Amino acid sequence: MIVDSAPAFDVREYLRKEMMPHFLCPGCGHGIALRALLWALHELKVDKDKLAVVSGIGCAGRLSAYIDASTFHVTHGRPLAYATGLALARPDLRVVVISGDGDCLAIGGNHLIHACRRNLKITCLMLNNEVYGMTGGQVSPTTSEMRVTTTTPLGNSEPHFDACALAAAAGAGFVGREGTRHVPKLAELMLAGLEHPGFSFIEVLSDCTEIFGRKNEMGSSSEMILRQKSELRPEAYRDTVDTPFRANELPTGVLAKNARPEYGAAYRKAAAAIKAAAAKKGRK
Amino acid sequence: MKPGDRIELRIAGTGGQGLILSGKMLAEALATLGRHIAQSQTYEPTSRGGFCNSDLVVSETEVDYPLATKLDCLVLLDRLAIKPSWALLKPGALVIHDTRLCPELPPHANIQAYALPLSRTAIDLGSERVANMVALGALVALARLCPRNTLEQAVRAETPKSFLEINLDALGAGFALGEQASTASAAALAR
Amino acid sequence: MNAADSPLAARPAVQLVSGNHACALGAVAAGCRFFAGYPITPSSEIAERLSRALPEVDGVFVQMEDELASMAAVIGASMGGVKAMTATSGPGFSLKQENLGYAAGAEIPCVIVNVMRGGPSTGMPTRPSQADIMQSRWGSHGDYPIIVLTPASVREIYTETIRAFALAEKFRTPVILLYDQAIAQLTETVQLGDGMPCAERLWASGAREAYRPYAAAPGAVPAMARPGDGYRSHTTGLNHAEDGFPTQHPETVERNLGRLLTKLDSHLEEIASWECIDCEDADVLIVAIGISARASRRALEQCRSRGLRVGLFRPLTLWPFPENALQAAAAHARSVLVPELNTGQLRLEVERLLGRDRVAGLHRIDGEPIAPEQIAARAESLAKGTP
Repeated sequence: MIVDSAPAFDVREYLRKEMMPHFLCPGCGHGIALRALLWALHELKVDKDKLAVVSGIGCAGRLSAYIDASTFHVTHGRPLAYATGLALARPDLRVVVISGDGDCLAIGGNHLIHACRRNLKITCLMLNNEVYGMTGGQVSPTTSEMRVTTTTPLGNSEPHFDACALAAAAGAGFVGREGTRHVPKLAELMLAGLEHPGFSFIEVLSDCTEIFGRKNEMGSSSEMILRQKSELRPEAYRDTVDTPFRANELPTGVLAKNARPEYGAAYRKAAAAIKAAAAKKGRK
Repeated sequence: MKPGDRIELRIAGTGGQGLILSGKMLAEALATLGRHIAQSQTYEPTSRGGFCNSDLVVSETEVDYPLATKLDCLVLLDRLAIKPSWALLKPGALVIHDTRLCPELPPHANIQAYALPLSRTAIDLGSERVANMVALGALVALARLCPRNTLEQAVRAETPKSFLEINLDALGAGFALGEQASTASAAALAR
Repeated sequence: MNAADSPLAARPAVQLVSGNHACALGAVAAGCRFFAGYPITPSSEIAERLSRALPEVDGVFVQMEDELASMAAVIGASMGGVKAMTATSGPGFSLKQENLGYAAGAEIPCVIVNVMRGGPSTGMPTRPSQADIMQSRWGSHGDYPIIVLTPASVREIYTETIRAFALAEKFRTPVILLYDQAIAQLTETVQLGDGMPCAERLWASGAREAYRPYAAAPGAVPAMARPGDGYRSHTTGLNHAEDGFPTQHPETVERNLGRLLTKLDSHLEEIASWECIDCEDADVLIVAIGISARASRRALEQCRSRGLRVGLFRPLTLWPFPENALQAAAAHARSVLVPELNTGQLRLEVERLLGRDRVAGLHRIDGEPIAPEQIAARAESLAKGTP
């Protein structure tokens, strides 16, 4: 349930109109994720001038260019590392990272686990469409078993990552998952992630209809959205046994939360102690 | 020292003997006397073990080439360290070697060699780890590099409180070894 | 000498400082307030020093998860408007090339220290080398401009670190400080002083509507927008138009890439720096950097005392190479000798400028520096016409 505390939300206020029309394929879920993010930022009354969005390479990486903020489209897999420098150097900015499943879990996997461990205040969205869409549809670390891609012609035989379990195990302060099938829930999850004082990791299950869906004969975008409904279930029902849910279902909602110290604040506290000790030494 | 003079010193042994630290202390002492110093080290990529050289180039004027090329003085705290240095000895070079860890030297036509119980003295003082301080004292006394109190000040500045007493004791014992050796060889020359 | 009587008395106190320590001091003096790094011999002392020094000046130190991340974090901090630096050695420098190319292309100022050790691969971690001369110029993919400085003494590491920041900020480019292990871990008596004024980045000003992030005259440097100042601009590693957004339009790419690739060449006089010793009458000109230049300096004295006319040309700005200065210095030399700790990287550039006929190399790759006597002997035989 969206609480409409902020003035009426007009997505156009947060988009760079000169960048329209966008380049996403018809039926792509990434636009839904972007709109949910912008709604959450609006709800938090985030000043666009104080918003920095860092994105990697791939379809998800292109989204930063559409947001009317200070935006940085960086190298493949590294947006969290760039964002770490930016957030440490400029604690006055609100830093959001937009990454994809390949960007975040494959080439950037090391940065993800260390960003979770460090717990610096960054909100990281991982848009998971199970495929490298920009490069034409190759297998990714989140591609489900037996799915066909351009590099798994007989079906994927590698097991896939549970990104949220990984992030939670690595210590992320806030971990959640939602699909583009449930827009209000997705937007609320983003709001909660943005409000978390430490590192927040949000996995968005987003459909790639044109490449992944077509290759796997998953039907139209609306059929793919319906498929999400059958494969996802709220975390609250994790232990339900008499289920209409299928075996490979993924839990959604807030999946992990902890109150570990935020790294930027912890660093500044430690740094102040070093400075004080140096000043004391200097006076002697 | 005359302008343009260049003295090259090396304290050599194995990693972990504190040779770089003793080189640094000597550099500090000589720097307070207005000398130009270039201090370098050669070591192997292990923190402990493997040969280790701690080198000083001392000059009245700015040091052009900062690395050792012809050694005036060499202190050997391990036999492992002989080989990398032996060819670099200047004719008439002063060589101090430890009686326990480097008891024998290869033949050399023209050096003044002193076998001194550096590590033994350190052990007797309570810790072999201060052999570097004994060596430093002996080197400065034998080569007459600087006044003893100048060196002591540098050692005080570079030593944590808990090690100060033993470091100064070791330095003093080294000084005594060096001066004894110097007197003995002068006496031998007189006979 | 009584210190009070010394003509040097009014100058800053003499200190014993190591090369890597001088780099850290220079960085702080230049206004560096962010360092991200990853431990690697023989550069780690820079990180260790700055982990303590930066908090004292309200700066930030962070040890990242890998070399790639530390380069990325440095660029991220610089995009936030803070002067930033990282330090590494060959194996890490290879890993930094990806994001270094981003900084060159997106024009983000930053300073990268590469303390050269033996290679290839893990090589010889504690031994000196000068084999990253070409990597420092061409290490990342694509055509891009870069500035590389090569100090040869502890004092010079301090001053060149400050100059590296000044050039990085002024020309919106990564600047590489390239020096060898022998200089990095050398401790020398120096008088450092308080540093010198360091150029500041040109920041965007005026109306947001009129600001175009990459609009500048050919060869010029555009003003950068600081996040938070209301410009809300876009930065990308894709080829971009003046507005900062991606383009593959041939004329737009040509115009923007053309400006990028000429921006250093059109400011060569400000960027180039070198030292000439006894070049005017030299029959044999030595060209060298770093520890090999220090050895050459001593070799030069030895040769001159034997009545041989030997000179030394030492580039301080290695890239862009001070071409005209070398050609002028070598105008009368019959032979040119390039001693270096690699198999001929600097020699390749010298040959490109002076022709192959009169250029000889003296190369050493065993992890030992080239001794002054070796250089003097080779220079002597060249002077006598018996190479």
